[in-house]
Amino acid sequence: MEVTRRSAIGLMGASAAGLVLFGPRADDDVPTDRLVLNYWEKWTGFEGVAMRELVDEFNRTQDRLFVRYLAVNSINHKAMISIAGGAPPDVIGLWSFNLPAYAEAGALLPMDDLAASAGLTPDRWIDSVRPLLRHEGRQWAMMTTCGSLALYLNLDVLESAGVDPAFEPRTIKELDDLNDRVTLRSSRGSIQRMGFVHTEPGWWSWMWGFQFGGRLLNESGDPTATDAGNADAYGWVRSYPDRFGAEKLLSFQSGNGFYGTAQNAFLQGRVASVVQGPWLANLIEVYAPNLRYRVVPVPVAEAVYDPDAPVGLFDGDVVVIPRGAAHPEASFEFIAWLQNRARLERLALAHRKNTPLRQASAGFFERHPNRSIRVHRRLASSPRAFGVPRTRVWPRYEAEFDTSFESLWIGRLSADDMLARVQTAIEQETEFARARRGARADV
Amino acid sequence: MTSSRSSLWLRMLWVAPWMVGLALFYAVPLAMSLFFSLTDATMIEPPRFIGLDNYAALARDRVFWRCVANTAIYAAVAIPLAMILSLWLAALLSTRHALAKPVLLLVFAPTVVPLVAASMIWLWIFNSDHGLLNMLFTAAGATGPNWLTTHGWAMSALIIMSLWSVGQSVVIYLAALRDVPRPLIESASLEGLGRFRRFVHVVLPTIAPAILFNAIIQTITAWQVFAAPYIMTGGGPDRSTYFYSHYVYDQAFVFQHMGYAATLGWVQCLLLAVCIGAVYLCWRRLGDLR
Amino acid sequence: MKAAHPTSSRRRRVWPWVNGACLSLVGLVFALPLAWMLVTSFQSETDALSPGLDLPIDRPAAIISQAHQNYRTVLTDESVNFPLLFRNTIIVVSLGVTGTVVSSTIVAYGLARVRLPARRAMLAMTVVAMLIPFPLLMVPQFILYAKLGWIGTFLPLFAPFWFGNAFSIFLMYLFFRSLPAELEEAAQLDGCSAWTCFTRVALPLSKPAIAVIALLHFTFMWNDFLAPLVFLVDRDMFTVALGLHFYQSRAGQTPWTLLMAASVLTMLPVLMIFVLALRTFLVSTSAFRHASPETRSTSPGRASTSHRTAGRGAH
Repeated sequence: MEVTRRSAIGLMGASAAGLVLFGPRADDDVPTDRLVLNYWEKWTGFEGVAMRELVDEFNRTQDRLFVRYLAVNSINHKAMISIAGGAPPDVIGLWSFNLPAYAEAGALLPMDDLAASAGLTPDRWIDSVRPLLRHEGRQWAMMTTCGSLALYLNLDVLESAGVDPAFEPRTIKELDDLNDRVTLRSSRGSIQRMGFVHTEPGWWSWMWGFQFGGRLLNESGDPTATDAGNADAYGWVRSYPDRFGAEKLLSFQSGNGFYGTAQNAFLQGRVASVVQGPWLANLIEVYAPNLRYRVVPVPVAEAVYDPDAPVGLFDGDVVVIPRGAAHPEASFEFIAWLQNRARLERLALAHRKNTPLRQASAGFFERHPNRSIRVHRRLASSPRAFGVPRTRVWPRYEAEFDTSFESLWIGRLSADDMLARVQTAIEQETEFARARRGARADV
Repeated sequence: MTSSRSSLWLRMLWVAPWMVGLALFYAVPLAMSLFFSLTDATMIEPPRFIGLDNYAALARDRVFWRCVANTAIYAAVAIPLAMILSLWLAALLSTRHALAKPVLLLVFAPTVVPLVAASMIWLWIFNSDHGLLNMLFTAAGATGPNWLTTHGWAMSALIIMSLWSVGQSVVIYLAALRDVPRPLIESASLEGLGRFRRFVHVVLPTIAPAILFNAIIQTITAWQVFAAPYIMTGGGPDRSTYFYSHYVYDQAFVFQHMGYAATLGWVQCLLLAVCIGAVYLCWRRLGDLR
Repeated sequence: MKAAHPTSSRRRRVWPWVNGACLSLVGLVFALPLAWMLVTSFQSETDALSPGLDLPIDRPAAIISQAHQNYRTVLTDESVNFPLLFRNTIIVVSLGVTGTVVSSTIVAYGLARVRLPARRAMLAMTVVAMLIPFPLLMVPQFILYAKLGWIGTFLPLFAPFWFGNAFSIFLMYLFFRSLPAELEEAAQLDGCSAWTCFTRVALPLSKPAIAVIALLHFTFMWNDFLAPLVFLVDRDMFTVALGLHFYQSRAGQTPWTLLMAASVLTMLPVLMIFVLALRTFLVSTSAFRHASPETRSTSPGRASTSHRTAGRGAH
């Protein structure tokens, strides 16, 4: 017994030592004769592979710069700490909604002049992109990939519920009708299947007001959570727990599998329609290649329906140069290289997303793995495409919305109370942010 | 007391590394965060001194009070349960039963399950549609609740989950129980004390240091609970599982109020110190058990 | 005492059964979630999240080939590079645990047994150091490490532990206080210095306590996610706990089977060490009986007094 124990300890120690001494090393083939740029990006997996290929190509095609692609967890959190600690990377991949906060804090280098000198003029983007890159009159980032939200319909489910698969819900009322026809209950009253439900996947709890003509900020940047459009929208949201029963909805929801798995409720046909971006095509390819689906604009309230101007959230991934980056011009050289149309399109195809550029090369839409990519493109180009509200306090705004939405959904708050709660909190937050800014400007 | 003869400097060498470590890795950063708490620092902007404004803002901050209340409730329930459970498990596992060793391994194993995996497991267990717990409810003819999405139940679920990882306390108790001298127990049973009273009057007082240590650790863990609720409920429903450390994290990294987050952190330290003081006073009463 | 209480012998036959029943129940409750984890790591992705635990038990060959495939994928997947994560973790953890054990035992002994000024204040500071939430220290520490040039190395993860670790110091302190002082007093009469008392008398007695702090610190470091997240930059230096999150954040697809297989692999070394260390703090005879047969023969009254003082040790 003692002998085996000793030898087990010895064996473990030896294998640990062996792994340390002879185990895999980081293949650090960073050349010493080049300027090395660290590029932090949020993408791992297949998205990371696509970006890494581009980076490799950049490193192959010239001999002065070397970009190291580093996939980083919790990138926003790490980016802030590294900027605060004075040791930031050279290029960071963020989300466009991060920009106001970073820009106001002076944590980014503005890109207008660099972009102009590289000939990357603002008219190259589709119209919805430009405001996402700018804050307070300056450009802070370049966009890499983008996507707009649309309604995905599972045609098999519609058919089995007796709905004409060619039917396209254009208004909220039509969506509710579709829901009523598709929704199934068991003999004991629990929900088995739904036509539509806000919480699947429920990632954008704040977007429903826009489909009713509401908005979350006015021109001067003050919150407008309680405007009429929002009130209507969340009154409609609240009608779901009222009609179906909050407990029953929660129960149904927990029967849905996780988003990124084969048990995804949409792929499984438990929910006939979901609001999603073009990247959903990737899940369909992997887990349900034979799924029959159709993509249409997200329905809107009857009063604001306009076939030529669909309404949908549009957002994108951006790259920025943080304050304190050692070689901003070299950083920008890499960013500008990425901005080549063919390269952006390669990335978009690999990520199953859209290109942010106004001009798409011939065959881009035909080759795209998401066969409804044109619908997404039309949504992105619509005059009523909307982005994440451009305010520094957005993270708080969104968190307030998520929390209050939950209370609404379990029937503890009315729509008006919910919006009032959000409004009060964000007014305070905005006021605080302005006071802080004003005090700094005085110094 | 040993070493009264050697010089003071020589004696201070014993604790010198820790004093350096305390100064370098705790005192300096703490002083910096105390300074942050007096400023309106965001993470990425230079701080501006605003006096005690952040501390005054606490009083008006309803989310702060909500988090304090949530965390206090969690601590008040989870700590005693964990203390009792771990002590009972340790007593059980210290018997010379053939099953003791394999069961100890099973009790310890949960403490090393990576958090992502543990959260997945418990998300499944608490799933109201096809989760393990509600399957048991159904088998018993009852309908289980929507664990993670209903007021009250979400908190209970997180407490139950926390009890699954009491293994470390159990290990500490076991190490302490081993040092209870047999003659003490034997003489106690000669005096005719039953199992339970023997445990309370003889064993408990001798493992008192371990009890203190575990109580302190449990208090700290409960007040700093963050990762599991963050992944499992996201603080919901309706902020009913929004705990203190989660709020500190949000203020610092999501809402970017580094100064305010530092204030919250300091207040958390004070609250914890008060709780640990209370734990210490309770622990001193242990001596009266004999 | 055997003959003294004839009734207790009947009870004595009942107790093992009660204990056995309790142990089985406890084992079952604690094992169920673990079993689910293990089973998931053997499943194909399609079976993994369907309700219930679907394993084709009638076809063991299928289970084995699926399990083999899952675990092989984890160990060979280039984009995660698990062996490298393991190597990094071993480097960081072994250096950190060694540092903690060495410095914490010395410091704790100093606090417990050496006459020092402001001893209570130092103890209080140790307790305070335990209760400071890491987020409060995170940014200042990052700034400090950036100034020291430690960012981009493993140093922030293990070097601070060479100066001691509050939890370990406190636990060792409580342990040293509970050792009967007579032992060291006797050794001192023989002319031992404080250091010799420590190495010759206290250390040999404290094997179980050292095993406990080493084990607890090992588990802590092995699973710590936040410090590596904040202080490590390069993916090639990531630890296992951090690397596991690669599985979670794969843009839409989360391969749960692989995540569980990777988690099982992550846990294995810790559990093996636990099993090997089990004896040290569970089975071997008590420290008291080992070192000083005379404490055994002392009257219970006297032993209990010394323990009473020990219990009050941490004023």
